Amino acid sequence: MSVKFFGQFLIDQGELDASHIREALGLMEAENISLGGWAIRQGFMQQVDVAKVNAEQRRNDSQFGDLAVSMELLTSDQLVDVLQRQREKRLPIGEALVRLGHLAADRLGVLLDAYKTDQAQYDVGEVELPDGLASRRVTRYVIDLLPRFMLRVAKLQVKVGEVRPFTKAPEYAQVRVSVPIKDTRGLDVTLICDSAFAEALASAASGLTIADLDPEMVADGVGEFLNVLAGNAASAVAKEGYPVELGPPDYEAELCDGWVFELAVGEGQAALVLSTF
Amino acid sequence: MDQKLNVLLVDDSRTVLAQLERIVSEIDDVAVVGLARNGAAAIREAGESKPDLILMDVVMPGLDGLSALRTIKSLHPDIEVAMVSSISGDARKAEEAFKLGACQVIGKPFDTEIIESLIETVRANLSGVANSEAGARGQGK
Repeated sequence: MSVKFFGQFLIDQGELDASHIREALGLMEAENISLGGWAIRQGFMQQVDVAKVNAEQRRNDSQFGDLAVSMELLTSDQLVDVLQRQREKRLPIGEALVRLGHLAADRLGVLLDAYKTDQAQYDVGEVELPDGLASRRVTRYVIDLLPRFMLRVAKLQVKVGEVRPFTKAPEYAQVRVSVPIKDTRGLDVTLICDSAFAEALASAASGLTIADLDPEMVADGVGEFLNVLAGNAASAVAKEGYPVELGPPDYEAELCDGWVFELAVGEGQAALVLSTF
Repeated sequence: MDQKLNVLLVDDSRTVLAQLERIVSEIDDVAVVGLARNGAAAIREAGESKPDLILMDVVMPGLDGLSALRTIKSLHPDIEVAMVSSISGDARKAEEAFKLGACQVIGKPFDTEIIESLIETVRANLSGVANSEAGARGQGK
């Protein structure tokens, strides 16, 4: 149970294997035109401009289109135009597999429907967010998926409660673990909790009894839960066309600002803190 | 294939290593031959323990899983590597893993059945290779 890439779903279903996926990816790479390529085709940029943006990308972690606009080599309207053309003309992996003869065209439709049904459990609902967080696509996934993954990973019932600006960590917050999600800006997703909640979470996640957990393992269990939550949120956002990067857990998270979401939990006390950086 | 299938587990999380070790150890004729907590340790361990299959995380401190995958497949092309990651649903990461030679990408949280199914597939593939090599040797006589 996780957010899945369609090729991964097809292997899980026993429809084909990794060699078929690799072949399809090769065909896609040969046929799909880069954003820079579309900008040249449309006469918006010259080859030399594309090379400048590519060179800048080696120093700057931004996406090609954002960088080209910030370097004034492409206008925002032109970026929208080439993004749309790229999306419309892109050869998707399912069609690549059909073209290569690895899937029948009618079978593809059936499998796409099954994939959509499987992945519908990660559709996000309406989430009330403070203004500073509302603009972050990944935030609503983090908040919406948290109770689902807490139930799935640790069989713990959790409800996301009120949100308020973070001022200082509450006394109970003996465990603080953070995972960074980075796009053009960063978002630190931090779980703060008391040892009772951390132990319950780590025990359920690892399958070990609380007596068998040392303090490092308790923090590790919390970190792994955050990794699953943030990773699936990041994957869901990437599916919408907004790729983000995920960092490993930080077990010495320092909190200074952000928003705190109280969590109603059965065992102990816990809250989620979201901070931008 | 009459011998045990040897598996190396790689994840920075001790929780995940414990989970995977429990699942993998309960499968008949499968042995966990090593545990590693980052990409560099995985490369070292792959050379020493020569596993048949590596289950490896993507996001790890230091050398990440995709970089380690690239090196391991170039040094030991016969070792099957499956990536086990919470970001496997991100097509860019999954596609890169397949291009670098991964035999599967598995999402976190993972189901026991998916791990078991992967191991059976790898075992069947290795048996097929062993049988065809034996056949070729027989024909060569």
